[in-house]
Amino acid sequence: MTTPMIQLSGVRKSFGSAEIIKGVDIAVEDGEFTVFVGPSGCGKSTLLRMIAGLESIDGGDLVLNGKRINDVPPDQRGIAMVFQSYALYPHMTVAQNIGFSLDLKKVPKAEIAREVGRVSELLQLSELLDRRPAELSGGQRQRVAIGRAIIKQPRVILFDEPLSNLDAALRVQMRAELQKLHQELKPTIVYVTHDQVEAMTMATRIVVLNKGKVEQWDTPIELYNNPVNTFVAGFIGSPRMNLVPGTIIGDATGQSFKANAGWTTRLDNRSLAGAIGQSVTLGMRPEHIQPAIDNVDLEATIAIVERLGAETYLNLRNGDDTLLVRAQGDLALAPGSTVKLALNHGAFHLFDQSGRAITG
Amino acid sequence: MAGISEKRSGAYTLLAYVTLIVISIFCVLPFVWMALASIDSNVQLFLKWPDSVTFDHYTKVFAEENGVRWFANSLFTVLSATFIVMVVAGLGGYALSRSKAWWKQPFLYAILLIRVLPSTALLVPLYKILLTANNGIGTVLRPLVGEHYRFVMQLFGFIDGYLGLIIVLATGQLPLALWIMKVFFDGVPKDYEEAAILDGATLVQRIRRVLIPLALPGLAAAGLFAFMSAWGDFLLPLILLSSPELQTLPIGLFRAFLRVNEIDYGLLAALATIYLIPAVIAFSFARRFLVQTFSGGVKG
Ligand SMILES: Nc1ncnc2c1ncn2[C@@H]1O[C@H](COP(=O)(O)OP(=O)(O)O)[C@@H](O)[C@H]1O
Ligand SMILES: [Mg+2]
Repeated sequence: MTTPMIQLSGVRKSFGSAEIIKGVDIAVEDGEFTVFVGPSGCGKSTLLRMIAGLESIDGGDLVLNGKRINDVPPDQRGIAMVFQSYALYPHMTVAQNIGFSLDLKKVPKAEIAREVGRVSELLQLSELLDRRPAELSGGQRQRVAIGRAIIKQPRVILFDEPLSNLDAALRVQMRAELQKLHQELKPTIVYVTHDQVEAMTMATRIVVLNKGKVEQWDTPIELYNNPVNTFVAGFIGSPRMNLVPGTIIGDATGQSFKANAGWTTRLDNRSLAGAIGQSVTLGMRPEHIQPAIDNVDLEATIAIVERLGAETYLNLRNGDDTLLVRAQGDLALAPGSTVKLALNHGAFHLFDQSGRAITG
Repeated sequence: MAGISEKRSGAYTLLAYVTLIVISIFCVLPFVWMALASIDSNVQLFLKWPDSVTFDHYTKVFAEENGVRWFANSLFTVLSATFIVMVVAGLGGYALSRSKAWWKQPFLYAILLIRVLPSTALLVPLYKILLTANNGIGTVLRPLVGEHYRFVMQLFGFIDGYLGLIIVLATGQLPLALWIMKVFFDGVPKDYEEAAILDGATLVQRIRRVLIPLALPGLAAAGLFAFMSAWGDFLLPLILLSSPELQTLPIGLFRAFLRVNEIDYGLLAALATIYLIPAVIAFSFARRFLVQTFSGGVKG
């Protein structure tokens, strides 16, 4: 295995008496697009700023390309950062903003102009070089901020929620542009977001953070298919995974899940004999519950129907549980009526009382 | 219904405009009188069109009176004080904005208190302190400068010297300027500086190339208020300066006004007009920075 570009081992950070980062171990390979995702306030920005050198590291090691850089000043780390606010200097033109780091290094004017030209071409900013940030649209500002980062030819580019100031349509477009940029330049990217859709669509690997700890760290599809706990299960995937509390019961033919709301369903292909009587949580993705006529597992009352055309979201009530169903096609169902549901038994996730996935 | 309320709002608008116009005339009239009187060959105490236009009053200010000297004194002391205020308020406002020290809030309110206290009430202790300082610096300087003592003390003395007046003027303007700059820097996100750090800017480069340009509108506002307020200060130069060659413009104006034998309204009007001009220039200069849009890269 090659040395990772960034390696964090037991990294910690406290503000006063509050420990914000509680021992993080991850590695980011060269050229990888790693996304830190997690709810607001979980410490994503803090962790990113520690990598950038804007926040000191209280414990553990931060290793960049084989070299421990805990105490290396930010500008000597070879790391660039795109801020959530973009932080474009309002008194400088686009060209001056992009070329600022080279100007500080006393690079000759002609060479700066050439580099700025190259970067602005790549980001389609060539027409805007003489404008000031105030005269740019949100998406253009975003691109200038990226240009300011990549002109330094950094080994690592850090992004802190760069799309959160853009409207929904622009966000989708910028997502695609960022991916394209990553494919063309192949920089190592660490990207922070609280939006799991952004994480799923762009990441090579996702680090799910919660309360300053890594919950799971894997490829997007692996997180989706095999969440290690209820937090990741609930956080990754949109709409959210259904989490139904219940117990495991057993009879002569095998084990079943009995929901607290009353219904039961068989648990096939699992060896859960030792778990009989245990309280568990059953996780089912919305697409793994479907309205059905045969093999019905349970019935539920329709609360809300969202008809999107290609698919229909059903918000159902079953006892105290709310179930979300994502059905293919357009279903003209009336709220208040009951619907029979079949479950995809092969796609069940089971979690024990502490929330950890049961893999048996 | 709509008709009535429309009529009514029309009448109100008219009333509002009439009121505003009356107030405006009331405010502008003294200046009109002053400007006209300063070029009137036959000045009267009431507002009238000049009999014939003359610049004699201005000539008199500069030729017969010591107008050039007064003007230069005023400009030098006030500009120096303004410069000190801008530098100290720029640095101090930044520190006060970024610091999380426990004494920050108490300090900010304490300096505001200084501003609230009438400066007249502070004059006696201030004079006492300055006198002591003056004696101190005099003792140090006297053996060093020998025969130039009087001249040197006019520059560096705390009483009847430029330095004392400048420092006291600057001190008086600092609280407000510090507040302006502190509030201004509160609105400048730390991201700008952090981006500059990552771009490899040293502390000096960050101040020169990022912070000062970002702070210009705030500095202009702080500087403008300091200049205007110090320019209009009358009491401090009156108390602190006694040598005729150190007199400032408001003191010159005051002394000319006090002459018992004859009150030369033409001369006074010309003096007052001259006194006004720098304030107007300062305002029009600072206005450019004050209105400068500051939407930058922050809003999305
Ligand atoms: N400079 C700071 N001083 C004190 N607390 C801070 C500081 N920066 C962040 N925090 C706290 O650390 C926690 C994580 O913040 P942050 O990393 O910004 O979260 P996220 O980016 O995941 O939303 C928050 O509770 C925040 O209040
Ligand atoms: Mg954040």
